[in-house]
Amino acid sequence: MIRKHLFNIIFTVIFLGLFSLIINLYYDDVSRALYENEIFPADKGFDILACQNWRNEMRQFHVSDEDKAKQVTVLMYHRVIEEDQIDDIHLETSGDLVSTVMLKSEFDMQMQLLKNEGFTTLTLKELEAFIEGKIDVPKHSIVLTFDDGFKDNAVEVAPILREHGFTGVSFVITGVVNLYDAKYEPGKYQYLSVEDIQNTCDVFEFESHTYNFHKRMDDHTPYLIGKPDELVRKDLETSIINLDGNTQAFASPYGAFDENNIQLFQKLGFNMAFTVVPETVRPGTDIYQIPRKEVYPHETIIDFKEKIGLQDGDT
Amino acid sequence: MLLKITLVLFLFYIFFQLLYILYPLYAVSKKQKATRLNQEKGITVIIPAYNEEKIILNCLEGIVNLQYHNYEIIFVNDGSNDNTLAILKKHLDLRPTFQKLPAVKIPHQEIKDIYHSELFPKIYLIDKVNGGKADALNTGTEYAAKEIVVTLDADSILDPNALNAINTTFADKDIIAAGGMVQIKQGFLGSILKPKPTFKLKGIIRYQIVQYMTAFYLHKLTQAKLNSIIVIAGAFGAFRKQALFDVNGYRKTVGEDMDITLKMHRLIKTNKNYRNSKLAFIPHAICYTECPESFSELYKQRIRWQKAFVDCVFYFKKSFFRQLGFRLSFFFIFESLLLGTLNVFPIMLIPIALIINSNHYMVAVALFSVTIFLSIYQSIVTIIVGERFGIIYSNKHLKKLIVFIPFETITYRLMGLLFVITGTFMYFRNKDSWHVSKRVGNSQHSIPIEVRQDKHAI
Repeated sequence: MIRKHLFNIIFTVIFLGLFSLIINLYYDDVSRALYENEIFPADKGFDILACQNWRNEMRQFHVSDEDKAKQVTVLMYHRVIEEDQIDDIHLETSGDLVSTVMLKSEFDMQMQLLKNEGFTTLTLKELEAFIEGKIDVPKHSIVLTFDDGFKDNAVEVAPILREHGFTGVSFVITGVVNLYDAKYEPGKYQYLSVEDIQNTCDVFEFESHTYNFHKRMDDHTPYLIGKPDELVRKDLETSIINLDGNTQAFASPYGAFDENNIQLFQKLGFNMAFTVVPETVRPGTDIYQIPRKEVYPHETIIDFKEKIGLQDGDT
Repeated sequence: MLLKITLVLFLFYIFFQLLYILYPLYAVSKKQKATRLNQEKGITVIIPAYNEEKIILNCLEGIVNLQYHNYEIIFVNDGSNDNTLAILKKHLDLRPTFQKLPAVKIPHQEIKDIYHSELFPKIYLIDKVNGGKADALNTGTEYAAKEIVVTLDADSILDPNALNAINTTFADKDIIAAGGMVQIKQGFLGSILKPKPTFKLKGIIRYQIVQYMTAFYLHKLTQAKLNSIIVIAGAFGAFRKQALFDVNGYRKTVGEDMDITLKMHRLIKTNKNYRNSKLAFIPHAICYTECPESFSELYKQRIRWQKAFVDCVFYFKKSFFRQLGFRLSFFFIFESLLLGTLNVFPIMLIPIALIINSNHYMVAVALFSVTIFLSIYQSIVTIIVGERFGIIYSNKHLKKLIVFIPFETITYRLMGLLFVITGTFMYFRNKDSWHVSKRVGNSQHSIPIEVRQDKHAI
């Protein structure tokens, strides 16, 4: 049998060998194409625990009573786009920028201002301790947050933060994170890839902005409020798995949440949760309703100064 | 979603290609020799002829050399308006006869005259009113005296041992129909008794040689094993006469060969008497047929084939699975229809899609590479299997063949896409205006053979 088919068997082995070689060569490309527009696997993590260690080390700020902060501003951004890459998708029908899009030049200017004014960016652990009254922080302290996890955050924001020695918080919708990296296309709703997350985990703390519940029901009720509690719990749990078990903070989509949600945040072990109420944070602020001030594209640098409390000198 | 559909179809494609590559390789063991039986069954060879004056004498070359005794030849002149009848009359010394009687089972056009050859007592000619190829075949079947009916195109030359191979196959009483091996005549030099394969030919003929050998030695061989032969080529097929009667003969369509093949399958699935019956492929029953030598002739032929295929899809659409069985339906629908016809349309869209969205160009490259790789390997297996069946090229010609294969897959084969697309469109455009396909004589170079054999030899 073997003798009779020796030639055939050798032929087959060579054929199958070459064939699997070809399949192997293209396997990655095909699975990448197949994956496109798919939701991030619910059981996979971003594998960033190791490089996020820095945010667990709380700094000791030695500040005199005069220099310590009474309140801290948490800023909220979404997208940051280079001016010449502005596309229809970033504009209202009126021609103005969509409220969630910030020009890179503006953002750069704001960061430069923070740097010049000697601002310190706090980690969430430090903010938490400040709210709980455990530590004092410098008067010029600030927390930078970026919602949704757009790819431009990795391309445009991360280098600027790194340059100034700042850190930020990225609230990612973990389900829209891309398993495979792709070319940056500012004209699309393009989200971070796992690679982006891993490459920028030195400047961003990655936190949950839900897994796949950044959505509204038909009657526009946000999912967090409209969907059964059980489903909301499952969704948030999945986002925690994606974040390698990290439960430092949560930000509700649209800033919308109810009493049940807050209990859920507690139950799931989140240390803190953010809203979009434009106020400052003080010791004693409700840890599950931390206010944030959104920075809008049409605002001037003077508006920005006011927002971060530079105008009245009462930071 | 579209991508997923494409990939699923592609997996089917790979499955069929692997089947066609691996099965024949192991099934056809080294040096296949045809077995000869002493007992000869009666065979009637029907040769329909419509305006074949240029080539009608070619087939006599095969007939006079047949190494078989129990047979008869029936030419059916389907109302030709050229000199077909006159040429045959002259060369065969045809005289009117009253000895041939019909079975009166299948209706057909009116008979004008029946002739018997004085020169070759085994040759008859039926002169009838034009009714198309299917009608001519039905007429021939009606007047066939023997148990087995072989249909042969007028431009095809039988190998001397062709009928012996058919006889051997039909010794199995479960076989009701079988396809012979159709070789391209231009691909052989020398006499019919000792044909020598050549590859020193025009590209368009080379393409068809590789294609025919692949289609028969790999595809039909595999399909036969799985009892799923989709078409017994009209150029050369063999049937039990009773089975032809039981399906009421041929249907008048451009693709009467695929039609009769599917009807045979349906007979097996729906008629209790045929429950164990099978269709076969007979690699040793060879006939040599002239293939088109110009693009426009090839185009006409392939458009006709594609129209025939689409016609059968519609005609048998309700019969699939239940009346035609799972395996045949699977082959027909997945391989021939989905991969062969429907999939061709998206393939043509790939370059356009790539221009619009270049994200997935690697997927297209992947599909393309795999297709080319499998095609080339299939052609290599064709050469190996062909060699085992006795088609042995000399080293010089083999080299030409091996160089031609990769070239062919990315040039001539793409032409096939064009035929499928235009043929399908043309089917829908003038669906109701079939005309009997005119034979285009393209064999002026082949010298009409001398019919001066001893008449007792046949």
